[in-house]
Amino acid sequence: MTVRSVKLGVGGHAPPRSARKIARRTGLYLALVAGGLAMMIPFFWMLTTSLKTRAEVFSTAPLSFPTGLHWENYAKMWFALPGVTFGTFFQNSIVIASLATLGQLITCSMAAYAFAVFEFRGKRVLFALILATLIIPFQIVLVPNFILYRYLPFPLSESGNWIGTNLPLWVWAFFGGAFGTFLLRQFFLTIPSELADAARVDGANPWQIFRKVYVPLAMPALATLAIFQFMWSWNDLLDPLIYLRDLPTYTTTVGLAFFQGQFVGKWPEMMAGALVSLLPMVILFLVAQKYFVRGITLSGLKG
Amino acid sequence: MTSTSRVGDPVRAATKRPARTRSGRGPRAGEGRWVLLFLAPALIGLAVLSAGPILATFGISLTKWDMLTAPQFVGLDNYARLLGDDRFLKALRNTVFYTVVSVPVGLTLALGLALALNQQIRGIAWIRTAYFLPLVTSATAIALVWLWIYSPTGPLNDILAALGIPRQRWVADPTLAMPSIIAMSIWQGLPANVIIFLAGLQAIPAEYYDAASVDGAGRQKRLRNITLPLLTPSLFFTGVLALIGAFQVFDQVYVMANPGKPGEATITLVYFIYEAGFRNFKMGYAGAASWIMFLIVAVATIVYFRTQDRWVHYQ
Repeated sequence: MTVRSVKLGVGGHAPPRSARKIARRTGLYLALVAGGLAMMIPFFWMLTTSLKTRAEVFSTAPLSFPTGLHWENYAKMWFALPGVTFGTFFQNSIVIASLATLGQLITCSMAAYAFAVFEFRGKRVLFALILATLIIPFQIVLVPNFILYRYLPFPLSESGNWIGTNLPLWVWAFFGGAFGTFLLRQFFLTIPSELADAARVDGANPWQIFRKVYVPLAMPALATLAIFQFMWSWNDLLDPLIYLRDLPTYTTTVGLAFFQGQFVGKWPEMMAGALVSLLPMVILFLVAQKYFVRGITLSGLKG
Repeated sequence: MTSTSRVGDPVRAATKRPARTRSGRGPRAGEGRWVLLFLAPALIGLAVLSAGPILATFGISLTKWDMLTAPQFVGLDNYARLLGDDRFLKALRNTVFYTVVSVPVGLTLALGLALALNQQIRGIAWIRTAYFLPLVTSATAIALVWLWIYSPTGPLNDILAALGIPRQRWVADPTLAMPSIIAMSIWQGLPANVIIFLAGLQAIPAEYYDAASVDGAGRQKRLRNITLPLLTPSLFFTGVLALIGAFQVFDQVYVMANPGKPGEATITLVYFIYEAGFRNFKMGYAGAASWIMFLIVAVATIVYFRTQDRWVHYQ
């Protein structure tokens, strides 16, 4: 960057060039800020609408600010459904997302370790097979997985099987996953094998090397995987919609969708619900931005 | 998992084991069982939750099954019926339309944004944060806001009214419904693609630009001859993901198109599968629809990969 500008400066007509540069830069800023606003405006509307009265939403311009801050919309939204509060949905989402994240962290790192450090027959084929599941639309397995869970017994549930419980939403995570395995394998490959060799010479077995050498060094990659799996589980709609049956078991997304079906036209409450449901993810994003960027760059993310 | 004993500490164990055994790379005796131990969960998952079910879906698609009575083998009957089912064909058309519009438009916008954001200017971190916010929020919550934006008295119609254009019904209008959902999805999908493009842009060695500048190449020329060609791997990569992701569109449709009975105008393939399998419990029918979707995505992906040699430049 600096080298280039020095070379350009030699040309002799430096002043007009820098004036043009300033103009260009100003234009760029304006465009970027305008674009940034375009990305933010829906969130802004979410906030202002959630603070208006219902009458206000219809009588005043949507672009206007609320006349008073009607925080009671949040309370109304929170207690809108019979028998459950939004807190229940939050709790359900947190339990499911945490368990799914834990499962992925453990089993993906194990598989990634095997692919990164061991040589074995069929390794390439197996790795390719796991990667292939990344680009297969997962809906292809919806029906057989539903049938599988339908026949797995669970005495505590009403149906006697896994349907209607949150088990189908997180147990799968304890059986590996393509994204996490790929992400962690790439990271493990960058760890010098001398470290493992040294530990091995010292008598450590592969499990100890995994736990004491690889896992501690892979913390940034594990954090990326954790954040992504948590977000995916938190934001998922289709699976909870299929497996959850009763209002008290709903996650925030299903609760929100149900809410929308029940309270058509109650925009302030609905916006309050939407805002509250995405708050945890926004906070997580702001705290761990760099891990998000790394994960997306590696994986693409869905959608 | 949390508390591990100190006994296994390799550093402490060092003094106890004078015997210098094997070192270096390559397979070692007795490693097989370790490989199996580390891979066991993933192998079970692959067999029971992915590879197996893909085949099982095909088997189920050859049956008529409501999960209450025993499955009945019907051959390719489900496939034949799907191809004559107007609702399925509508879902297929909508999904293809969604994909064909949202992928190219979304990627082009993302590319432009990434080029603009790839600047060493003050405050860029803040601007980036604003751009990335939609990424972490659920499509469900996002769809609710857009439902409000599109509502009869919502902001979008207010803007139209201010400009003297009649208010539209957007998601409730058969012709505008799908474009409305596409616009929202492009908006939400933008950040992920921008991040991938930004990573691609930052991976281009600065020396190329320096050399081009010395040769007198202008901004336009550098963009066309260096940036774009070297960005084609990123473009290819995001293209695959966008293509596959677009075929899976569900959340937006479910929320925006009046749950329970989305009009034919916005029904998509995944919605169709959801409805057939988990609302109407026609497992064979849903399975057949899944396989058709799978085949379409597979063929599209293979064709897309075939085009790779023609336009992707790996450096």
